[in-house]
Amino acid sequence: MRIGVFVCQCGTNIAATVDTEKAAAAGSLRDVHHAETIQYTCSDPGQRAIIDAIREKELTRVVIAACSPRMHETTFRRAVTRAGLNPFMMDMVNIREHCSWVHSDVDTATGKAIDLTSMGVARVRKQASLFSSKVPVTNRVLVIGGGVAGIQAALDIADAGLPVTMVERGPSIGGNMARLDKTFPTLDCSSCILTPRMVEANQHEQIDLMVNSEVDTVRGHVGNFEVDIRKKATCVIEEKCTGCMICQEKCPSRAPDEFNAGVGESKAISVPFPQAVPLVANLRKEHCRQFIRGKCGVCKKVCKSGAIDYEQEDEVTTERFGAIVVATGYEPYDWREAYPDYGGGQYPDVITSLQYERLLSASGPTGGHVRRPSDGEEPRQVVFISCVGSRDESVGRPFCCSVGCMYIAKQAILTKEHIPESQSYVFYIDIRAGGKGYEEFTRRAQKEYGAVYLRGRVGKIYPSKGKLMVMGTDTLSGEQVEIEADLVVLAAGFAAAEGAGELARKLNISYDQYEFLSESHPKLRPVETNTGGIFLAGACQGPKDIPGSVAQASAAAAKAIGLLSKGELETSPMVAAVNQTRCTGCFKCRDVCPYNAIEAVEARDGHQTARVVDSLCHGCGVCNVACPPAVISLKGYTDNQLIAETLELLR
Amino acid sequence: MSAYSYFPGCSLTSSAGEYDTSFRLVAGTLGIGLDEINDWNCCGASPAPHHWGGNLGVMLPARNLHIAGYGHEAMVAPCAGCYNRHKNAQHELAASAELREQTSRILREPLRYQIEILNLVELFDREISPEALAERAQGRLEGLNLATYYGCLLTRPAKIMNFDNARNPVSMKPLLRATGAQSDHFPFKSECCGSYMGLAKKEIVLRAGRRIIEVAKDLGFDAIITACPLCHQNLDLRQSQINKTYGISLEMPILYFSQVLGLALGLSADDLGIDAHMVSARKLLAKISGSAVDPASPAKSGDATEPTATLSGIGEAS
Amino acid sequence: MKLIGFLCNWCSYAGADMAGTSRIQQPGDLHIVRMPCTGRINPLLILKAFQEGADGVLVSGCHPGDCHYNDGNYYARRRLELLARMLPAFGIASERFQYTWVSASEGARWAQVVDDFTERVRSLQ
Repeated sequence: MRIGVFVCQCGTNIAATVDTEKAAAAGSLRDVHHAETIQYTCSDPGQRAIIDAIREKELTRVVIAACSPRMHETTFRRAVTRAGLNPFMMDMVNIREHCSWVHSDVDTATGKAIDLTSMGVARVRKQASLFSSKVPVTNRVLVIGGGVAGIQAALDIADAGLPVTMVERGPSIGGNMARLDKTFPTLDCSSCILTPRMVEANQHEQIDLMVNSEVDTVRGHVGNFEVDIRKKATCVIEEKCTGCMICQEKCPSRAPDEFNAGVGESKAISVPFPQAVPLVANLRKEHCRQFIRGKCGVCKKVCKSGAIDYEQEDEVTTERFGAIVVATGYEPYDWREAYPDYGGGQYPDVITSLQYERLLSASGPTGGHVRRPSDGEEPRQVVFISCVGSRDESVGRPFCCSVGCMYIAKQAILTKEHIPESQSYVFYIDIRAGGKGYEEFTRRAQKEYGAVYLRGRVGKIYPSKGKLMVMGTDTLSGEQVEIEADLVVLAAGFAAAEGAGELARKLNISYDQYEFLSESHPKLRPVETNTGGIFLAGACQGPKDIPGSVAQASAAAAKAIGLLSKGELETSPMVAAVNQTRCTGCFKCRDVCPYNAIEAVEARDGHQTARVVDSLCHGCGVCNVACPPAVISLKGYTDNQLIAETLELLR
Repeated sequence: MSAYSYFPGCSLTSSAGEYDTSFRLVAGTLGIGLDEINDWNCCGASPAPHHWGGNLGVMLPARNLHIAGYGHEAMVAPCAGCYNRHKNAQHELAASAELREQTSRILREPLRYQIEILNLVELFDREISPEALAERAQGRLEGLNLATYYGCLLTRPAKIMNFDNARNPVSMKPLLRATGAQSDHFPFKSECCGSYMGLAKKEIVLRAGRRIIEVAKDLGFDAIITACPLCHQNLDLRQSQINKTYGISLEMPILYFSQVLGLALGLSADDLGIDAHMVSARKLLAKISGSAVDPASPAKSGDATEPTATLSGIGEAS
Repeated sequence: MKLIGFLCNWCSYAGADMAGTSRIQQPGDLHIVRMPCTGRINPLLILKAFQEGADGVLVSGCHPGDCHYNDGNYYARRRLELLARMLPAFGIASERFQYTWVSASEGARWAQVVDDFTERVRSLQ
């Protein structure tokens, strides 16, 4: 056995605190026939040095002490393959993230790097060659969420020729973008640019659009997911409904207008909004007289196409997918409980910016005339408060919403355009305008549209003589300010869509404490998740503006297309294997396996033993521990390897 | 019902005598036993902890806790300042063994400091349920709209006081509503009253007080309810100074929480010491005595904003 | 001191990576062994480590409910809880063993776990 040890300096990232020469001295260990330090091992010359050494010194196994294997394991497996080794004859040791970056003392870091490298050598000594097999993939992609990110991803994937199923929880696609009036910094009409995309998605031959639908359960893994999709009963037969809205007109039951963010009213049966896609009515049972009192039936009577069916039930269908794009978006942070000082939702004229978008929008409940909710008056003094539920540790929301500064500037501009004699005030912490044309835009709001920007937080809002008194501080002048406002608009921060964490658990992907979904690597794998075949698009991953969401959606689409383009996938060979001759047939392994990957095989004498179905095994190793005679073993993480690695440290 | 150890403090024995009177009276009516701490001393107030370098701000309350802890499980301090000082001292004692030892040395016996410390609102909340009070109150205070005013000392610092929600305190509300009175959201309920700046920079106190009272008036409140002698002083005693300084004519009664409960229980305003206040509560008392003085305004004035959580109705407005 | 940490690849190992990326300084006694899942950790391996002179053993995986392999960490929890209760019978102070859950985004928490565990074992020395 001839082992080679390569210690990476990573420029100074490792070499600054780890004496890499000393770490390479693990080269004096048994079986080690070559050891060297390399300035940047992942670089082309670095990989070349490894390949050359393998060839010249006839190395059969390699240990690379460098960054986290989560970063470059694949890179180096490919490199040793090029030198003729089995890719699994390479093992990585993490002396950067787990060592040089977290220890400042050179002796400590160097000592630990030596230990870790020796452990790697002990481990690779027990490694066996592993061979992956290929499985066919399902050529269909699931897109979860029908906002701008989901639409973009679906269209990109469908245009590449792959069939797509788009699942949207609500009654229409379009997401939050469909609610916006104009977009910054160009003041494009939001629905004018989005609606054609919505229609395109609906009409695309390759896209199967499922609204009022949710993902129930997810089984399988990359290349071959099996997903149960629940289509919720809406009492309207989608194929029959023509979207004529007569039912909505005649419906006697009032209901809150969800599309208009609660501004204004709708009916229990309604088309969500005039540009909805698909243009189909849906019935909300919790507001419907037919369901509350047990008799009404008006909509059924007036529907000429017979599309109403009160008996409709949820339908669950099962489909197979090769990849999944998650684009579940965000919702505005519910500020009411955390901000009692702003009235906690008790003052009708303190509204969120999304509600204000609806007041600005020509398709909104006021027909684009800005009128305040309490008395329908046109406001003269409008106060915008940024960072409500963003950048505020006192309410447990320390992160920036990344778009608030921009849409406040936009809304201040639009306010002036709607009501020329109005005056806008903006309370801000910092103006964050880091995008193309963004900084200029916020300047315009101030210079051309006369919005007064005050740097400081608002401490209190209270009603006084039909107005709202806004008390705040201008930290630049050090003065306390009080403004008599007619309307106060709160830039509520971003919150993950309701149920994002629950969906993540179904998909087996990770999420952070705010339930934003976690990418695999913040820099280099920004659209991948830790679960193969599942990709992220848009604000479900974190606050994002429209161009950012669209760009990420296209990236996720490219990843999904790339994954499925080969028609088959290499499986990980790190799966469990049973030593059949010693298996007693107790099937404890089968009891614990989360994937039903253990099957029974019968020998000629009738004795039953366990066998692992490679294509089903995920390689968790739970069975390895459960096996009483220890004859089932996880390849790549065998007992022998783990013991060798442990004992090496304690030697 | 159990007896509580009672710490009156200096205010309740002097300028806020009516707070003490009304508290003892209401407690007696509800059958709550009070044992005044034997030979209690100053809580330290502002000077001991803030203007004197050593541990006097902890030691003074510690002695009271020690005495109170003999035979009692809980102690009540109706003055928000005393309550705050004792809770602070308890917090610091719990955190420092050295401080505990030092105090024990001075007391010449092992320190008892873990007695539960209650403020007046907390005590009544515990001793009478809103339902029980409602039954005894018979809606006596119907027609009044009472502003709850907590100030700062009852709830802050939140981690030490551990009472109510410092940003949005609500603990007075259930019992106040049980009296039959209305108690709408008062946005200035935890706004600063100016505290002891009344001595050093009076204009600060006057300005702060003016706004609190004006907002309460604007919102149609009949009185401001407090549980702190200093808040009471700044809003009641100084109300005439506010009027004189700004040339206005506010007339907002400031009542102690205990006095309101007393009125609800049918005790007489005189016994509760309501006439001891500088701002007369005559109109308010007339309003609940059954023969309203001003029949033109049976409810509250027109400016009051009826809080609503919905944004509905705007569709029609267009 | 020689401390050994068995970490699952998906949550805690990534969390430790995150602590590194964020440069959160930690004591240098803990040596991390990467595992696919805490469900792969054999209690016998931990006993073996103690037998061979480990000063402490730390196991960390995904939070309950978040296991990459659905329920590997539930198996781990049962096995390790039992082990933790048995250790004193073998004459091994229970402070020397800990299992915990750290997610991929909890870099700061990981550093805290390492700090606390190292300090705890050191105080026994």
